[in-house]
Amino acid sequence: MSEAEITKLKLEIAGLKSENTQLREKIAGVEKGREEYLQNVSHQLVAPLNAMKWHIENLREARVSVTRAKKVLSSIYAQATIAVHLAKNFKLMSNLEADHALHKLKEPLQDVNLRSLLVNLVNDFQPLAWDKNIKIYVDDNRFDKEPSVLAMKPLISQVFSNIIENAVKYSDSDTNIQFRGQYLQASDSFSVSIINSGINLDPEHSSKVFDRGFRSAKAIQKYPAGTGFGLYIAKRIVEIHEGTIKASTDKRMVVFEVILPVKALEGKARLRG
Amino acid sequence: MAKKTVLLIDDEQSFLEPLSDALESEGYRILKARTAKEAFAFLETEHIDLVTIDIMMDPGNAWEGDVDSHKTGLYLCEEIRETWPNIDAFCISVVSDMKIIKQIESLGIRFLRKGETPLRTVLNMLRSRLTGIAYSTERDQKDLRGRS
Repeated sequence: MSEAEITKLKLEIAGLKSENTQLREKIAGVEKGREEYLQNVSHQLVAPLNAMKWHIENLREARVSVTRAKKVLSSIYAQATIAVHLAKNFKLMSNLEADHALHKLKEPLQDVNLRSLLVNLVNDFQPLAWDKNIKIYVDDNRFDKEPSVLAMKPLISQVFSNIIENAVKYSDSDTNIQFRGQYLQASDSFSVSIINSGINLDPEHSSKVFDRGFRSAKAIQKYPAGTGFGLYIAKRIVEIHEGTIKASTDKRMVVFEVILPVKALEGKARLRG
Repeated sequence: MAKKTVLLIDDEQSFLEPLSDALESEGYRILKARTAKEAFAFLETEHIDLVTIDIMMDPGNAWEGDVDSHKTGLYLCEEIRETWPNIDAFCISVVSDMKIIKQIESLGIRFLRKGETPLRTVLNMLRSRLTGIAYSTERDQKDLRGRS
């Protein structure tokens, strides 16, 4: 082997070594991110369960009056709602991370009446919202009763529970969170708006809030703990349903609008049939 | 004799409520602050015997400039130790960063893992500090050992 060939080989080896080091660093970075994510997930899931334990201990040791006990039970219910909600989010997150196609999510398509679905969600989240004296309601006068949309109900439910949880977290105390719904005949779709007042979105963040893991500086300042996955999951599910989601803000009013086609998935339902 | 006053500083209502219920059941007067700014307002105007401090919480513009909200409680601990050294203090938080925990313990402030320490143990420790009567039930000591 000539001198020139040896030099060339040495250079190639050096290049491969450097590439190898870079890959190792990249893997270590991914692994660190994954560990941090899992730690965050575990903390988020454990916190409401621990809060429930403290409440239950007070009930068991009769440290609260009968009247107060009702409020304590309501708080336990609120924490259970959060725990279930978060567990569902993390399950969905692993599905979405693997970029599963619609048919792999394995949820049956069904006619979903968004008004009924939201009334149930509001009832679930209201005890949590009372902590800040926030009233959540579906505006009867501004919510069309029909039509239903063809969708994967548990997933659509998670879209709105993520938006509600977000709204409760970042709304000012003593305010309202209201839902309005309208059938859009021209596009044969249904629009749901969620309106709350609190931390306003910077205009440049109105689309970023749906990015995976994004949390604005203002949001972190107010609530240091959080994953920044809720709205990302919401967006992914809406897109799977061929719908749109957007956020807008005006002074301290924040509006999230979800538009879902009424029958977009009909063909796919038949295919799966 | 006037009721002793406990200031609970925590932005998580879900933990603030049961701790407050438990202490109220023992006859203590409870004040609640959900931001560092609210905490300072109480510290400056009320007679407080004991304070519990969360770590990760909204500073609420308590200090000038940007403050890392993941360490709000640490800054609070430092300021309380400096300005109100006679107030008994406990840090009750979910934070597991040993560097922060050590910094807090170096100020002479006991750290308790929120939620994972049974409420009974927390209550016994706070009561013991407020009454000056030492407690040492085997059960609670076991609970404490079990936390780490």
